[in-house]
Amino acid sequence: MSGAGDAVPVLQVRDLQAHFRTHYFGVNREVRAVDGVTFEVNRNEIYGLAGESSSGKTTLVKTIAGLLKPPLEMVGGSARFSFLPGWDAIGRAPPEVVRAIRWRHLSYIMQGSMNVLNPLRRVRYSFRDFAWRHLGGSKVEFDARVVAHMERVKLDPSVLDAYPHELSGGMRQRVTIALATICKPDFIIADEPTTALDVVVQKDVLGMIRAIQCEMGSSILFITHDMGVHAALTDRLGIMYAGRLVEDGETPEIFSRPLHPYTRHLIASLPRIGDTEQREGLDGTPPNLAAPPPGCRFHPRCPLAMPVCTTIVPAMVETLPGHRVACHAVNPGMAT
Amino acid sequence: MLAILRDLLRYNLEFRIGLALVAIVLVMAGLSFVSPYPAGDVFVVPPDIPPSITHWLGTTSRGQDVFWQLTLAIRNTLGFGIMVAVLSRVIAIVVGLLAGYSGGWIDRVLMSINDTFIIIPLFPILILFYFVLRDTMSTPLLATIMACLGWAYDARLIRSIALSLKTREFTQTSIFSGMKTHEILAREHLPYVLPIVFSTTMNNMNWSIGIEVTLAVLGFTDINTPTIGGMIYWANQHTALVAGIWWWIAFPVALVAMTFVGLFLLAVSMNEYIDPRSRLARMGGGR
Repeated sequence: MSGAGDAVPVLQVRDLQAHFRTHYFGVNREVRAVDGVTFEVNRNEIYGLAGESSSGKTTLVKTIAGLLKPPLEMVGGSARFSFLPGWDAIGRAPPEVVRAIRWRHLSYIMQGSMNVLNPLRRVRYSFRDFAWRHLGGSKVEFDARVVAHMERVKLDPSVLDAYPHELSGGMRQRVTIALATICKPDFIIADEPTTALDVVVQKDVLGMIRAIQCEMGSSILFITHDMGVHAALTDRLGIMYAGRLVEDGETPEIFSRPLHPYTRHLIASLPRIGDTEQREGLDGTPPNLAAPPPGCRFHPRCPLAMPVCTTIVPAMVETLPGHRVACHAVNPGMAT
Repeated sequence: MLAILRDLLRYNLEFRIGLALVAIVLVMAGLSFVSPYPAGDVFVVPPDIPPSITHWLGTTSRGQDVFWQLTLAIRNTLGFGIMVAVLSRVIAIVVGLLAGYSGGWIDRVLMSINDTFIIIPLFPILILFYFVLRDTMSTPLLATIMACLGWAYDARLIRSIALSLKTREFTQTSIFSGMKTHEILAREHLPYVLPIVFSTTMNNMNWSIGIEVTLAVLGFTDINTPTIGGMIYWANQHTALVAGIWWWIAFPVALVAMTFVGLFLLAVSMNEYIDPRSRLARMGGGR
């Protein structure tokens, strides 16, 4: 699957910083949830984002999608989409421009996407509420289009007249994916869309996401902490730790030759068939992002930590072709 | 919806009694349209006749048939209650949903207005309105004033639901898909609060009828429109109890009490359906 992308960037994220800023009871607090992230997503590829909970994955994609609500603020950097020329980030474009590109060009499968459907409204009305305005046309045309699209995701059109609670988890997931893809967007953000599903349904849904993506030629930014899913689905993979990207490259490359010590641990934690040994965990917990450790944020837990790691932030360097990593042990002498 | 009503009828005694009482009241109100006597006229029948075959509930000292007078009075009183309930529901839903969904300064402003309306003393204000408006005071005007004073509790209730709806994923998706605030509130959030609105409507009608009767008995409303309170007012004016014309007061009181109890039982039984705890208990799960 590697190399499915056309090497035409659809999304270019440059040194993106998004912080949660609060001011309560005279105390200013700043949580640097996303701190200097740079990567690109090409046309016709699935880019995976991996990382443990609280590593800033969801904050990163929310910032990219322009879903900024206080206390979350985009502090610096840019996230340019090829279909939105002239604006640094969606969050900085005027509302009518944003409204015009969302769903049409950019759709977002939210975390906990099983609950995207309003439980009190039939599925048909969720489609009308969310997607009709973006497609235009008469109600009859729109309904016909929805029915045609439902067949593409292997759902019976009768599902449209059901309430969400009458559907199984897998069916609901298909409906949300159908909802996100009905306008054939150029870019889809999928935030843990398969986390609540069992592996059988998950495999099915992943296959469907892949099939639809191939058919439409769109790009997907896919988030999950499940490395097995990344291995099966994504073309390229970025590893996040404590609000920063520590490594990215083509998925098979990352799995066969992980360079960053954190990535190595992440991949070594995957169980293999026939394996009887106990896996070793990594000591410690992710740092508090309100007061992150200086230098490399991974150094308190890193087995390779050197004195330089505690003071200087390692730069993201293309160590191998198409494979970037931010680590002093891998790229000695490279600092930001 | 029909299935819910059927189940309530089958399993809920309060609902059955409430429905029967409200049905009697409604039939009474409906009969006013076929009344043989003109509504406003006096001395159309011999005065002070006790209940008999010709005049079922007797006649008043003003020469009106109590039964037919009552049908019109209950129609006006019910109409007043419905008018207040509908108007105040509209205000409560708009304020509650908007405050809960918007948050921030909109919420703070709306809720401080809301709290003001909760604590201001109602009765002196209504009497003040009557003395200021005097002859221009009509039933629709009084209903509007009452609605403006009677929405605050329910707006708070609705706001509490809207607060939780705001953080749900479907709301986030609605925002992302570019729905405007009024569309999100009307299409996505309104269905959630409707059951509570149904239940509070009954209570609000009871409350407004109670206030109206009180004001009318004291003569602080438009006394020329026959209402339940108005009938009692005229009976008092003619010292009906001292003169032994008990039927002039007893039947209006009985009918309005029936209305109260009926609406209250409907509200209680619907509440039992809406409240998940009592619903569980009914299904045998909430022990």
